[in-house]
Amino acid sequence: MNRWFAVSACGEVPHGQVAQSQLLGQELVLWRSAAGALNAWENRCPHRGVRLTLGACVGEELRCQYHAWRFASGSGQCTHIPSHPHQKPAGTIRPQVFPVFEDGTFAWVNLTREAVSPQRPAAGIDTALRSIFARAPVAAVRQVLLRGYADQSVGLVDEFTLDATEYALRFMLQPVTEGQTIIHARLQGEVTAAKRMTVLRHHNVLMSAVRDHAEAAA
Amino acid sequence: MNTSPPVEPVLWDDWHPVGEMVQLQRTAVLHTMLLGVPLTLTLAADGSVTATGAPHGSPVPLPHVQIRYGLVWLCLGTPAREIVDFPETRESDRVVCTGGSVAVAVSGLRAVENFLDLGHLAFVHAGYLGEEPHTEICAYKVEPLADGGILATQCRVYQPRPSPMESQGFDVDYIYAVRRPYIVVLFKANPVEKERMDMIALLAQPVTEERCVAHVLMAYPPHNVDVASLRWFQQLIFGQDRPILENQLPKRLPLDPRAEISVRADSSSAHYRRWLSAVGVRYGAVPVAAA
Repeated sequence: MNRWFAVSACGEVPHGQVAQSQLLGQELVLWRSAAGALNAWENRCPHRGVRLTLGACVGEELRCQYHAWRFASGSGQCTHIPSHPHQKPAGTIRPQVFPVFEDGTFAWVNLTREAVSPQRPAAGIDTALRSIFARAPVAAVRQVLLRGYADQSVGLVDEFTLDATEYALRFMLQPVTEGQTIIHARLQGEVTAAKRMTVLRHHNVLMSAVRDHAEAAA
Repeated sequence: MNTSPPVEPVLWDDWHPVGEMVQLQRTAVLHTMLLGVPLTLTLAADGSVTATGAPHGSPVPLPHVQIRYGLVWLCLGTPAREIVDFPETRESDRVVCTGGSVAVAVSGLRAVENFLDLGHLAFVHAGYLGEEPHTEICAYKVEPLADGGILATQCRVYQPRPSPMESQGFDVDYIYAVRRPYIVVLFKANPVEKERMDMIALLAQPVTEERCVAHVLMAYPPHNVDVASLRWFQQLIFGQDRPILENQLPKRLPLDPRAEISVRADSSSAHYRRWLSAVGVRYGAVPVAAA
């Protein structure tokens, strides 16, 4: 499926950190090298199948926890096999590497190996909301959102003084498995520091309500 | 209960460990599972053990139960061979004990392969069974055993703390013998008696294709050893392996050599997988796809 999906807010994977994700049933290791390059690989060492999310980032390499094989950021190429430290690993040894793209606020992954990164301008000043996990298929979440986002939590909006139309809101749905979805969302436009926590809390409540409705419908 | 194909005779008609006596002596009754069949083990007042289970639908008494080496052994089918023999346990001066039984959410074949694996010792068991920079695995010899299984010899690894009795590191000679698809024995050079070896066996109970109980049997020459230390050390070491094992994908052991990359240090693993294919083991494995 040659399609790009948002899988994480960029800031959720800091430099030198390793995170786990899943897209359309494919388990992923998301990790960012010390220099800042983001990688999305199959979450499985090609040697003995151990989840790479157990491993650690070492500079520009990811090191597997089982036998400490190292894999290079970018290509995934195995660079070091400690049981044979004086031999150069064969060029074919690498985990499955997926194309990854960052738009400035969110990281996107495409499971088609030869997919070309979209030439979208970096959004830069968008604000990522807290992503919400729902035990519901993407279609159910989308239906709830289309029925009216703010209506999901009647009463709360009325109590809330913030003008919701101040910011354009954009949702990105990540199909985790057939029955699981992560709801990502961003506010387009700059939120002042003074309003930031209030805005984030407001949407966290609304998005949690979306989750509850979608799970009830699913 | 059976929607899957019947279990191959090489496993169904063989003996498997299903419980540790020290545990059964505390609880008198033990509920467990072998090859997908739920079992109940009951300890009688006379010290004998009976088993019931439902291999073909409704629960029946199971006739093939034995106590040996401090473990309860069970055969669901018609025993085609004896319980695997550990002659070291009959040497009267050895300290013989079980090491505790640990449930692991992975195929028992993966657990056996991990037990055979030398390359992980410096990392997963750092400070005990290996240590950086001593990571290199020198060539060792792997050959078939006469009555089935494989033998790996001439394995040597530097170990900072090879046993609960040692506080000094040294190069340790290892011999591995895979005696059954789910049973492997390790012999380690004994630091006091150069011509005798410590024996540690891993006996994996195939609970389902993707779950096992790892039983351990040890027989050590009697130099500064006691049962409590041996059990403690085994459980410490196995506790380091368990999170690795439970994060292997797939949970069953792939037998196709193309499924996972092997290097020279994995020679015993590669031979093990080939032997499993040759003797027709499918339970707990991802068999090689028919061409």
